[in-house]
Amino acid sequence: MAKTILIVDDSDSIREVVRFTLENEGYNVLVGVDGKDALKHLNGQAIDLVITDLHMPEMDGIELIKHIRAMSDYERVPILFLTTESQTSKKMEAKDAGATGWIIKPFVPAKLIAAINKVIR
Amino acid sequence: MDNFKKKFIEEAAELIDKLEVALLELEKKPNDEALIQQVFRVMHTLKGNSAMFGFELIDSFTHNLKSIYDKIRNGQLEVSKDILNITFSSVDHLKAMLDEQNYDDPDFKTIHSGLMGKINKIINPDIVEKESNNTEKAQDMSGSFSTFYILFEPNEKIFSNGTNPLYLLDELCSLGEHKVYAHFNRLPGIKDINPNLCYTYWEVLLVTDKDVNAIHDVFIFVETDSKLEIQKLAEENLLADKEFVDEVSHLADIQKDVGLVTIQRLAAKSVARINKAKAREFTKERIATKDKTAASIRVSSDKLDHLMNLVSELVTTQARLSLFAEQNNVPGLAPIVENVHKLTRQLRDIAFSIVLIPIENLFGRFQRLIRDLSAELHKEVDFIIEGADTELDKTIIENLSDPLMHIIRNSMDHGIEESRIRIANGKPAKGKIHLKAFYSGANVIIQVSDDGAGIDPEIIHAKAISKGLVPSDKKMSKKEILDLIFLPGFSTAKKVTDVSGRGVGMDVVKKKISDIRGEVEVESEVGLGTTITIKLPLTLSIIDGLLVSIDSSPFVIPLSSIDKIYAVDKESIYNTFNNLVTLDGTQIPFFSLRKEFNLQPSNEELEQVVVVNFEDNRVGLVVDYVIGEYQAVLKPLGKHYKSHDIFSGATILGDGTVALVMDTNKIIKMFATSK
Repeated sequence: MAKTILIVDDSDSIREVVRFTLENEGYNVLVGVDGKDALKHLNGQAIDLVITDLHMPEMDGIELIKHIRAMSDYERVPILFLTTESQTSKKMEAKDAGATGWIIKPFVPAKLIAAINKVIR
Repeated sequence: MDNFKKKFIEEAAELIDKLEVALLELEKKPNDEALIQQVFRVMHTLKGNSAMFGFELIDSFTHNLKSIYDKIRNGQLEVSKDILNITFSSVDHLKAMLDEQNYDDPDFKTIHSGLMGKINKIINPDIVEKESNNTEKAQDMSGSFSTFYILFEPNEKIFSNGTNPLYLLDELCSLGEHKVYAHFNRLPGIKDINPNLCYTYWEVLLVTDKDVNAIHDVFIFVETDSKLEIQKLAEENLLADKEFVDEVSHLADIQKDVGLVTIQRLAAKSVARINKAKAREFTKERIATKDKTAASIRVSSDKLDHLMNLVSELVTTQARLSLFAEQNNVPGLAPIVENVHKLTRQLRDIAFSIVLIPIENLFGRFQRLIRDLSAELHKEVDFIIEGADTELDKTIIENLSDPLMHIIRNSMDHGIEESRIRIANGKPAKGKIHLKAFYSGANVIIQVSDDGAGIDPEIIHAKAISKGLVPSDKKMSKKEILDLIFLPGFSTAKKVTDVSGRGVGMDVVKKKISDIRGEVEVESEVGLGTTITIKLPLTLSIIDGLLVSIDSSPFVIPLSSIDKIYAVDKESIYNTFNNLVTLDGTQIPFFSLRKEFNLQPSNEELEQVVVVNFEDNRVGLVVDYVIGEYQAVLKPLGKHYKSHDIFSGATILGDGTVALVMDTNKIIKMFATSK
């Protein structure tokens, strides 16, 4: 069965690029425009990976990660977050919150896939 | 960049063709390891190239496709019909991917994601191997390989943030040949086990052409909170040294872990061993690989065309030089001219052989065609290829593709019967199509024969009459009737099928082949099958000819068709009723070219008869006298001569005179019908 990936980002273009790449790879894709919006997908359905931006209105990425780790259904779901090279402190913060890994923006599709392949198969 | 892309596309198309051929072979012999390796290697190269030129889609697609074959060659998967079908569709898809304009096409996207899904399903049976023993895995030895030691001790809590360490090991292993030792000695007793914690740690030996950063990249997410040691052991493939692997494996079994220090000691010993062994083979191997790399280079065909043109010019100029030397007796010039003549000839021959390429690629393409057609038409066919190493001028091969494809389609569609009909007629259920290429003098013959229903001359005749192509009262031989299928507007298919009968008929085939100075013939026995024979010149631009004179005008007769030359007296030519002359005791029909060209009879007592091969017979052509052998550089005739197809071209002689080059077959045919 195709794996399901939840993308959370407030940028239209990023969402679309990621979505297109992932669908091409044969994944099911769910989208949320921010942390709060993403919660509607976390209703017990099987989600194999979450990719989230950190900076978002209405519940940011760190909070979303903490939230997900607190849900018994999703405490082990791999979470990747999108970040830029400079945000080292943010990176640690997100890791401490329970994120699995990160993807540095800007990224090419191949890099995205490589990062995903590190955490799900 | 665009220039690079063009090159990539060219090369990729070739690779894809190669892949297809290998796959078709693999379909026949699914367990052939060499073939699996070949398929893998081609995919590997394709992937590498596409990544380099920014074709990310191809890169990622091929990567996944390749993983299937990686698993197959490691014995984790077996070649199945399912896998092959997906691969074949993928090959088609890859072809579409070469055109970036396709990328926005919704159909393209559906196909892409569909295939990706299928491929992923094959590669992900959800098993992660902890230890793989593929020491004998053949690596392509490009680049330099080093052996690394990696110790990976994950943080106990690694699971809690969603990390699966096995995926990381998997990724690590994908970098090259590897040996993984998992250590379980930290595992507590069953009562104390906490399933949420990771107790296992790993030691890995990895042989890869990547650098240490690539290995660090694998662990980038966990580096900060796990213990990770990465150390280069040697710039060799230590895994190829069995003694080393055995020692390490043994230690890994009895100790809790081998440890970097021990491994380094063993590695040093191993390197010494390898170097000693290598010293012996090294020189030999080096030469062999060197030979291989120099074996072929890529040259644009424009350059080759240019080279051929220059050689043609050189040949013409050389003829002028010879003539000049003959007419002006300059001391010392003759040996130089002779040398130039010799060199020119050699240069010409080599330039020729450069543009000759084996017909293999073209034939390979048809294998795929047959496979697809047999699925489409539900006809089972054995496709046999012979003489794929026959070499032909590149231009000829290019122009041959369409006509041959048409002929093979016809054979599949109209020739081979459905299997139940075949069985009813006492034939094997599986049809047979034979594609054969071979040399015959200065020609190459290509034959397509099938063991199908054959062509019924009566049906052809009746149809030609009904179409008004021939008068109904004309008596025709079987050969003449069969030749009718080459007439424009003739198509006997009862119904128009998808495969053939699209209105483009054998006439187009014939035209295309005569465009490259070839001929087509058809032979057929009802119930037994049909054979279509294509006769082609080896090359298009320079021919060896015989220079003859008729009424003081020079003409060239291609040497390839000449059998023998005789001198005969005028009487036996002009005082004959049936145009037969007795030579060497056999009667041979002849044509006096003076007479046929509407020239006055000559005054000389002796004339010469050039006997040429025409179909299966020998026919004499009477000329005034033979001047000698001549290398003729063929130049096309201007448009005013277009209708005179008895001449295949013209050539410029050393003194600047233009000589027409005869097409003996057409000349004889024309004169014979005008009688």
